[in-house]
Amino acid sequence: MAEKKVGSRREFLGKASALRVKMVILGSSGVGKSSLALRFSKDEFKNSSPTVGCAYLTQVVCLHDVTLRFEIWDTAGQEKYHSVTPLYYRGAHAALVVYDISKRESFVRAQLWLRELEKHYIPGETVVGLVGNKTDLPNIRQVSLQEGQSLAESKGLVFMETSAKSGEQTSELLLNIAHRVNQRTMDKDRDLTEWREAECVELYQGNRPHPLTACCPIGP
Amino acid sequence: MQTFLSGQQLEGSGVCFFGLKAILSSSTVSALLPARSPPAPSSPASREMSQKSERRGIHVDQSELLCKKGCGYYGNAAWQGLCSKCWREEYQRARQKQIQEDWALAEKLQREEEAAYASSQGAQSQPSLTPFSKFEEKKTNEKTRKVTTVKKFFSPSSRTAPKKALAARLKDSHEGKTPSPSISRQSSIETDRVSRDFVDFLKTLQKPGREIHKQSRAFIEGMANKKDLGADELSECVQDFYQNMSDRLMTHFKGSSERVERVMDQVEKYIMTRLYKNVFCPETTDDEKKDLATQHRIRALHWVTIQMLCVPVDEEIPEVSDNVVKAITDVIEMDSKRVPRDKLACITRCSKHIFNAIKITKNEPASADDFLPTLIYIVLKANPPRLQSNIQYITRFCNPSRLMTGEDGYYFTNLCCAVAFIEKLDGQSLNLSTEDFERYMSGQASPRRQEPEAWPPEGPCGGSSPGLAQVYQNLELLTGLEARQERVLEGARSLESDLISWQESVEREVQQILEKYPLEIRTPASAIDSDNVENDRLPPPLQPQVFAG
Repeated sequence: MAEKKVGSRREFLGKASALRVKMVILGSSGVGKSSLALRFSKDEFKNSSPTVGCAYLTQVVCLHDVTLRFEIWDTAGQEKYHSVTPLYYRGAHAALVVYDISKRESFVRAQLWLRELEKHYIPGETVVGLVGNKTDLPNIRQVSLQEGQSLAESKGLVFMETSAKSGEQTSELLLNIAHRVNQRTMDKDRDLTEWREAECVELYQGNRPHPLTACCPIGP
Repeated sequence: MQTFLSGQQLEGSGVCFFGLKAILSSSTVSALLPARSPPAPSSPASREMSQKSERRGIHVDQSELLCKKGCGYYGNAAWQGLCSKCWREEYQRARQKQIQEDWALAEKLQREEEAAYASSQGAQSQPSLTPFSKFEEKKTNEKTRKVTTVKKFFSPSSRTAPKKALAARLKDSHEGKTPSPSISRQSSIETDRVSRDFVDFLKTLQKPGREIHKQSRAFIEGMANKKDLGADELSECVQDFYQNMSDRLMTHFKGSSERVERVMDQVEKYIMTRLYKNVFCPETTDDEKKDLATQHRIRALHWVTIQMLCVPVDEEIPEVSDNVVKAITDVIEMDSKRVPRDKLACITRCSKHIFNAIKITKNEPASADDFLPTLIYIVLKANPPRLQSNIQYITRFCNPSRLMTGEDGYYFTNLCCAVAFIEKLDGQSLNLSTEDFERYMSGQASPRRQEPEAWPPEGPCGGSSPGLAQVYQNLELLTGLEARQERVLEGARSLESDLISWQESVEREVQQILEKYPLEIRTPASAIDSDNVENDRLPPPLQPQVFAG
């Protein structure tokens, strides 16, 4: 069940099918969206990372019977780009709305993001997660755990508090999302088998995995 | 007189050079000036070469200017030495010929491919019954292909032509003498190359390859009849074709989407190279109008600075500015590609350069918060040609799975965001007041004059940007030149007055001398003959004689 390292993952790929999952990360500027993405993909933190960019990253997650290839899309969080962000989450399977637990205004903005997402998406299509980041700063916390939890519950979202800096709870979060996405796809397959081909989800059933199916970072 | 000399010195080198050229016509001396005389490729001997170039420098023969067809009108180098009328005739002929050749090639490719399949299948199933002639044909086909691969850029349609003719044509095109316009050929050469690559690729697929080729051809022919459809309908046709094709491939490859993708990439390349001309920025849409609008908009925003957009890039670092330049080049290059996927690749390359620039500046991986503003800045700086048309074209005709997901899709989405942002850009998003924004947009004010502290007026050469330094340097140079010209003019003027006064003084002197020594004609004191007493002893004077012959 647990996430495994890339090397040992490859032999599983052969038999299992790989789903391509597009996940966008939304949230104000400076809440740690890209750090979170970097942690998902490479288990690194920004200031010591050799990665050139962390705006587009990939990670393969193995569940017991399927392999999911996550494509993690970072978005620009500055307020002035708010009007163009819907372009990013078109066709996304999962969306994470991130806020900074030490900044109340980022939590307010997160609620705006959620409302925006609801406008564009039919519930049940996209897996939405609410993430309170920077649990490594408990001393200056401004948003309590309960606040986040109750907001998520009221909208039926996945909720988790993480720390991209220490890596706390990040892999658990990714696994949780992976399970939900997988569940959604299986439900959809059962209900509307004919839809599968029009979907962006593609089934890998090749005998051999392509080398790029493992995680491929951007940048040389 | 001194001032005159300084004026002469100014032009000294030029005069000297031309003087040398005029005087030194022997080959020995002109060999001393090899850099001055460009090598004429047609004449191998060095002596001829130098003489020819010399003639070109000073004197152009009248016959060289005339139309090569000898119609009496002047020719033009841009029309390969023909006059406009003859060129048009030649061009039309070449085009007609080329169209015919293209058809012939297409048919030949089809035939050849079928033959190859027939022979390969025959060889597989019944090796003993394979006719030797077919085998031989295949062999020669392969041989000719080997010969032509290098030369196909020059003569794409003469694949099976005899070697000799091919070489001759190759030579012709090398020397630039053939009237067939190479520029118009470029596109068909590319099309041919893509077709050949496609066929070669499909051959590796064995049996289904033939089917794919047939369908693709049929589709292209079908599309030729649908020229007057709207862009959206055309897009739908292409997308339907992609969908059908990938569905079929999916069943054939038993669900291996990777192999399907590989084939689909080739199919897309083949189809879109052929359809490009008709479906890129079609007349039925207002793409062109949008292109112009965006271009004007970006031009009007020329005053936007890195600081206003909060771009985390420091162009002072040479490595960073190098990456910025590369990114700009890549995003401009997008317009020159025909296949949607190639266009996407340009965007991706551009994005990677941006990431490098940010990484070097900030020393940490670039996030989307950094990336999007930088991309906007790059787009503003580059003002890529036909930006909207390109985006529309990619959206309409790219394989949809590439746009929604994947790395290319991500960067493409960012480019769309950047363009959408530029269209909506207002003062607020640049941290400016609405009035300031309006004034900058209308060109009434420039933000640089408003913030003198951002652009300190340092010494004449110490501008904060290399461009500014260059401007100062040029200004200084101009001032120097002006002063020198003034000096020359002054010299000329004083020379003129010197000449006038000199003439006057000479006149005066002559007058004085004339007055001093007035001209007196004295009568000769005595005649020589009259004094000569022994005159009759002298022999008679010589008489002129006439000699015949």
